[in-house]
Amino acid sequence: MAPLLDIRDLSLVFDTFDGTYHAIDKVSLQLKPGEALGLVGETGCGKSVLTRAAFGLVPVPPARITSGSVRLDGRELLGLSDRALRGIRGSEVAMIFQDPMTYLNPVFRVGTQLVDAIRAQSGGRIGKAEAKSIALDMLDKVHLPNPDRQFRAYPHELSGGMRQRVLIAMALAAKPKLLIADEPTTALDVTIQAQILDLMAELVEDLGLAMIMISHDLGVVAQVCSRVAVMYAGKIVEDAPIGRIFDAPAHPYTQGLLAALPHPFKPVDRLASIPGTLPDLLHPPAGCRFAGRCAQAHAACAAPVPLRAVGPQHRVACTLYEDAAPEGAAHV
Amino acid sequence: MRKMIAKRLGLMVVMLLGLAVITFTVANVAPGDPARLAAGPDASADMVEEIRVERGFDRPLPIRFGIYLGQLVQGDLGTSVYTGRPVLQDVAQFLPATVELVLFSIFIAILLGVPLGVLAAVFQNRVPDHAIRLLSVSGVALPMFWLGLMLQWYLALDLGWFPLGGRLGIFDDVPPKITGMITFDALLAGDPATAGAALWHMILPAAALSFPALAAIIRVNRAEMLEVLGRDYVTNARAQGIGPFRIIAVYSLKNAILPTLAMIGLRFGWMLGGTVLVEGVFDFPGIGLYAAKAAISSDFEPIMAVTLILGAAFMLTNLVIDLAYAALDPRVRNQI
Repeated sequence: MAPLLDIRDLSLVFDTFDGTYHAIDKVSLQLKPGEALGLVGETGCGKSVLTRAAFGLVPVPPARITSGSVRLDGRELLGLSDRALRGIRGSEVAMIFQDPMTYLNPVFRVGTQLVDAIRAQSGGRIGKAEAKSIALDMLDKVHLPNPDRQFRAYPHELSGGMRQRVLIAMALAAKPKLLIADEPTTALDVTIQAQILDLMAELVEDLGLAMIMISHDLGVVAQVCSRVAVMYAGKIVEDAPIGRIFDAPAHPYTQGLLAALPHPFKPVDRLASIPGTLPDLLHPPAGCRFAGRCAQAHAACAAPVPLRAVGPQHRVACTLYEDAAPEGAAHV
Repeated sequence: MRKMIAKRLGLMVVMLLGLAVITFTVANVAPGDPARLAAGPDASADMVEEIRVERGFDRPLPIRFGIYLGQLVQGDLGTSVYTGRPVLQDVAQFLPATVELVLFSIFIAILLGVPLGVLAAVFQNRVPDHAIRLLSVSGVALPMFWLGLMLQWYLALDLGWFPLGGRLGIFDDVPPKITGMITFDALLAGDPATAGAALWHMILPAAALSFPALAAIIRVNRAEMLEVLGRDYVTNARAQGIGPFRIIAVYSLKNAILPTLAMIGLRFGWMLGGTVLVEGVFDFPGIGLYAAKAAISSDFEPIMAVTLILGAAFMLTNLVIDLAYAALDPRVRNQI
C-alpha cells in the first residue's frame, strides 16, 4: 500500500545566537493509511518539532529545513505556500496537543472557536449554521454531556478532560486522514487519561484515521498504537511493531527506556536510569548520538549509523547489528 | 457587577477624602500667604490681617479643613482669589476644553497605537518593527512642549496648514454652551463647520499631547502581542487552518488588548493632569493652565478643587477600564 505520509531524510536546524542547533537529523518515516504509530522519546528529542515542521507549524526563522521531503498522499508539502499548507492543516491533517488548558483561547466561547475552526477547515465552504450543527454533532461524538451548554461555555468553565474532548472534536470535525496527537493525555490525571485514550482509539477506528501519537510514555502508546518509532536526540533509533518493542527491544536506548519502567509486582527502591546526558546538538557527534551514554559503545559507533532491518518491520540504527543487511536508503 | 460598581464608588469617596487631606495639608504648609495675595500688593498690614480673619485663615488647620469639607459637600468649591470668581464657575469654563483635548488625543493614540503595536509584533525584528520602535522611543524621549513648539513652528507658522493656537478662529461662531466641548456643542447645534474648525484647532496640541501615550500604547501592545502570538491557542488555531488575519486581529488582539487597556486608562488620567505644557504652547484655555496659575499664586481653593476633580476623573477612568476588562475577558467577568 502506498504510504499516506512519507517523510524522507528530513533535517531541521534552529539558528541560535550560539550557533546552529541540529534538532532533526535525516529522519525518514512512513505511515500507511489507517495505521497508528507511536513516536516516543524524551523531552527535547525532536518528536514534536518533527511533526510540526512537516506541516509548516514551526516558525521560520529561527527554524530552517535543510534537507528532505514530506509527502502526504503523494503530494510534496515542503515548499508549499502558507495558504496551501493552511488548506491541508485542519482538513487533511488534524492535530491535538498536550495541554488542553492552554490550547483553547480563553476569551472566546467554545462554540465560537469550534465554528471558526470548522469553517476554516472547509476552506470557507461551510456556512455558520451548518458549522454549528457539525460542531454540536462532534461534541456529542466525543461524549461531552450537554453539547448545547458546552457550546456556549467559555474554556475556563470546563475541566481539563472536557477541554481535551473539545479539542478532539475540533480536530476531527473535518474528517481528516491523519491525526497528530502530541502528548494528548500528559496533562490529565490517570482516570481522565484512560477515558481520552479510549475515546481516541474509538474515533480512530470509526473514522479510519491514521494517527501519530507522540508520547514519552510507552504505556500510553501501547494502548492505542500498533507500531512504535523511538527517537533520540533528533534521530529515529528504532522502529518496530509494538509487541517487538516490548519483547525484543534492539537498540540500547530502547532497552534503557524499558528498563526504566516500574514493574507493578516487583517494587524497587530506585528505578533504573540511563547514565549521562543528551549530546550537545550545537555540535552533534558524526556517529551514533547515543554512543556517549551507551555501555556497549565501541569504535564503529563514531561513524554514521544507518537504520537496518533486524526483523519483519523492525529497523534499528545500531552498530551491534552490523551483520544485518543494511537497508539501501534506510527506509522501510 | 452592580455590587462591584457600588463598592468601587464607595471606595472612591474614601480615597478622595484622603486626597483632600493630603492636598489641604500640602497647600497650607507651602510658603505663600493667601491673605496677602487676596489683599493685593499695596495693602497695609492691618488690611491683610482683616482679610485673614474675614476669610478664616487665622483658625487652626483641622477646623479650616472641617469647614472646607462642609462647603465641599454642599457643592461649594470656594472662590478663586486670582480670578475673583467662584471656583465652580472657573472649572466649568476650563475643564471641558481640556477634557475635549484629552479625549481627542487619547482617541488618536489608540487609533494609531494599537494597530502599530500589532504590526510591530507581527513583523518582529524586521523593517516595520524597527521603524515603529523608533517612533515609540521618540515618543518617550521627546519633551512634549518641545514637540509642540516644533509642530507649531513648521506646520503652523512655516507651512500655515494649521492654526497657531486657541480653540476657534476669530471668525468662527461660538456654539451655544451645552457641554462646554466646542466640537460636541457645535454638532448638537447642527453646525458641522464649527465642529470641524474646533477639531482643526486641536490637531497640533493633540498630536503633541498624544505622542507619549501613543509610544506607551505601542510598546505595551507590541509586547503583549508578541507574547500572545507565541501562546498555545494560537498554535492550535493555526493547526486548524484558520487564516492569519483572523488569528492576529481577532484571536490574538482580544487577548493582547487587556493590558493595553490598563495602560490607556493610566495615560488618560495622566493626560488630564498633564496638559499644562501643551495648553501653554498652544494658548489653549484649559484646566491645566488654570491650575498652574493658581499654584503659582498660592490660590488655595482652585488648587484643591482641580486636584480633587482630576483625582475623581482618574478613579472613574480606572473603574471604566475595569468594566471594559470584564466585558472582554469572561474570566474577569466571573470574578466580579
